[in-house]
Amino acid sequence: MPLTLLECDIPIPEREKHTYIKKSGECIIPMCNVQTTPGDLTERGCTFAGCMGVVGGPVKDVIHLVHGPIGCAYYTWGGGRRQNLSDNPEFHRKYCFSTNMQEANIIFGGEQKLHKAILEAYERFPDVNGVFVYATCVIGLIGDDINNVCKQASKEIGVPVIPFSCEGFRGVSQSLGHHIANDVIFERIIGTKEPDEVTPYDINIIGEYNIQGDLWVIAPLFEAMGLRILCTFTGNSSIDDLAMAHRAKLNVMHCQRSTPYICQLMEEKYELPYMPVSLFGVDQTSKALRDVASFFGLEEQAEMVIESEVAKILPQMEYYKEKLKGKRVFIYQGAPRAWHWIKLMDELGMQVIGAATTFGHTDDYEKIVERIGDGALVIDNPNSLELKEILVKYKPDLFISGLKEKFLAHKHGVPFVNGHAYENGPYAAYSGFVNFARDMDMTINHPAWKLIEGRT
Amino acid sequence: MTQTKTERSVTINPGMLCQPIGAMQAVLGVHAAIPLVHGSQGCAAYPMRMFNRHFAEPVEIALSSLGEDAAVFGGADNLVKGVHALTSRRHPELIAVITTCLSETIGDDIDGILRKIDLPVALVPMHTPSYVGSHVTGYDNAVKALVSQLAEQTGPTDKINITVGLLNPGDIRELKSMLEVMRVKANILTDISETLDAPLRLPRPSFPTGGTTLKEIADTANSLGSIALCKHAGGGAVTYLANKHKVPMILGATPIGVANTDALLENVSQLVGRPVPEQLRRDRGRLIDAMIDVQFKVVSKKVAIFADPDVASGMARFVHELGMEPSIVATGTASKEFVKDVQAIASQTGHEIEILQGCDLYGLHEAVKAAGVDLLMANTHGSIADDEKIAFARIGFPVYDRVGYQRRTIIGFNGGINLVDLIANSILEHGDAS
Repeated sequence: MPLTLLECDIPIPEREKHTYIKKSGECIIPMCNVQTTPGDLTERGCTFAGCMGVVGGPVKDVIHLVHGPIGCAYYTWGGGRRQNLSDNPEFHRKYCFSTNMQEANIIFGGEQKLHKAILEAYERFPDVNGVFVYATCVIGLIGDDINNVCKQASKEIGVPVIPFSCEGFRGVSQSLGHHIANDVIFERIIGTKEPDEVTPYDINIIGEYNIQGDLWVIAPLFEAMGLRILCTFTGNSSIDDLAMAHRAKLNVMHCQRSTPYICQLMEEKYELPYMPVSLFGVDQTSKALRDVASFFGLEEQAEMVIESEVAKILPQMEYYKEKLKGKRVFIYQGAPRAWHWIKLMDELGMQVIGAATTFGHTDDYEKIVERIGDGALVIDNPNSLELKEILVKYKPDLFISGLKEKFLAHKHGVPFVNGHAYENGPYAAYSGFVNFARDMDMTINHPAWKLIEGRT
Repeated sequence: MTQTKTERSVTINPGMLCQPIGAMQAVLGVHAAIPLVHGSQGCAAYPMRMFNRHFAEPVEIALSSLGEDAAVFGGADNLVKGVHALTSRRHPELIAVITTCLSETIGDDIDGILRKIDLPVALVPMHTPSYVGSHVTGYDNAVKALVSQLAEQTGPTDKINITVGLLNPGDIRELKSMLEVMRVKANILTDISETLDAPLRLPRPSFPTGGTTLKEIADTANSLGSIALCKHAGGGAVTYLANKHKVPMILGATPIGVANTDALLENVSQLVGRPVPEQLRRDRGRLIDAMIDVQFKVVSKKVAIFADPDVASGMARFVHELGMEPSIVATGTASKEFVKDVQAIASQTGHEIEILQGCDLYGLHEAVKAAGVDLLMANTHGSIADDEKIAFARIGFPVYDRVGYQRRTIIGFNGGINLVDLIANSILEHGDAS
């Protein structure tokens, strides 16, 4: 079957181009990375969210100062207790900084207020190693010269003050925000410091944001092989880690939607190659370790790590495979996890009946369409009515998505796991895979679903 | 007694959100209504996530999805398209168009744009630029927009109007139960008790049952009187109805604790001409009993209260009734009215109260350090309590690091009992832990 129009979309037929039912032999990619239809009840976020919330925010030792009215700062505060973990919880994500722009600032400009705000924030938190300034929608409209203000302030306080022009109305989704953050960090931070020592075994892990401690189950695997992680972009990283990242020998790229830009830029400027990997599930994680090992000639070490890690989780995985076999799952993620996890579900014997992304590009959908089974639905930027129709008509045994969709699933009696922030993660690599499988089993087999009146 | 308003340029750990989210909450309490935010992608996604967290419910918030083109050429096309798409796919009874910093700065004439749209749906523009006021004023503007657009004089009724403000589903259920006991019919503006705390039964209705109907909003012009439980969030609508339709009005106080609940019931009783019934007197007695029973666990403890203005001042009076000391009473919304309210409490009770208005939690923290309090009452972001090693009772918005706050009432006599338990147990648990 080709592109298809869901029933709820009859009044907005342009959605047909975004909705595809997979058929082998066809070469169809749903339309993606374009403006959302106004009023369609989209779940998408903005450029600011991609820049500050995803890429910039995890940097643990800088003040993240949001330049704009109060809301945008407030909404990115904390990010939940267990997201983007860092080893600096006494500061990082605990404090929220905003210029709290008022009407008079909008009329007369906010440069002076921004300048004062940077100095005042630094005065109160002098241990930080930098300030990141994020411009929200209205700043772009009134034309504050944040570059100049940041330059002046940096001179005064003696640490980098980095401006990000990530106004929410730019671009069509979070995705442009990732790109902006990549470009700014590359231009202004990468290469500005040199490490005390370099080794032939230094890597960066790019596109890893340490959701519920993913990084802390990933890093030991590479370290056990004899590699050193110079920098993580950007989970639990310091601004100095980023500044020295250019001296690594290989960029290992995990999130391949939010970071190919910086990988390409570093390859061009520093001849630093990059390697895309998937670190979800046994097969993909093992492949990633083998690929990276072969780059460094550490094949034997990799096999030892893989053997011992797999042995540790094997009995549990057999148990969960038995419980999850044949379960039908619908995956809706930002972008790459939708295709990372199709393979992971294959490993568990589960069937992916649909996959969707919020901000995927063509290369994301190519991977999804290639990996997903015949008859499965592939849908770009699904809105809440489409999601509801899918939950009701397809009746998946499990929906994996984010917090905004969690309670929608519950209200339709569909078991749900939060794939963005996780339930009881981490979910990456080997031990994380067990957590993920356990959470899926827990919700699918939860006794309360059977108590719902009218659930068939 | 001091009053401080933050003079810093930098806000650190904010005490307020922006206007649009307050307006969205008001609209979510109207039956079959959908807020349509006229802004960029994050202007809907972020508030949705905040509501999801606090209420543990799905919410529908539509968006005009303004992009770079709209920033240059205006957002009229997006808005018109958005209203049409939403109407044809969702068939709501009301679409409330909520502006943002983006659309207000672009300068779209949303009133004019909406007037030209001819669809079988009520369209109400709500002006809520994010650089003015707070979520509290946004809520107030939204309820005022609802009545000013929809209220219509059609002949007197025996109903009263109650604007509830930024309270929770549990609070509204308690309010409705009190009114039922008094056999009072009321237009409740707006009623999130079902829409943001819906039962899980299948099949799910197209719109949650409950919520204020458009007919009830229209009928507010004909009531015996109006009471604003939170004068900062709903007072505008009540004042409008008094000025425009001569509906007698009463502003506050939020019925937290004994005296404030007594006052509400007395006001309702006078408006409808019926006495406060026996059952409510029994509830009152149960609250007083609970207060007396915990006295040695809470008496003389110094409390810092941080909440929206009316909840904060209501809570201040209640902790006084509990024999505690409201040392700091703070709100993130700038309001002279709030200062007057708390000053009145101070002079009536003899407490020295430090009053903070328009403050952030960084400023509150400094005040807490200086005053040395035993208990902090604040929302999820009250990490001050951990830092200062004091007891912490979660109140206000948002509360998402503990479950169930939105379901339990803090108003009326039953709300008082819940608060007695919350306050005393917070102090006891803190004592056990330290």
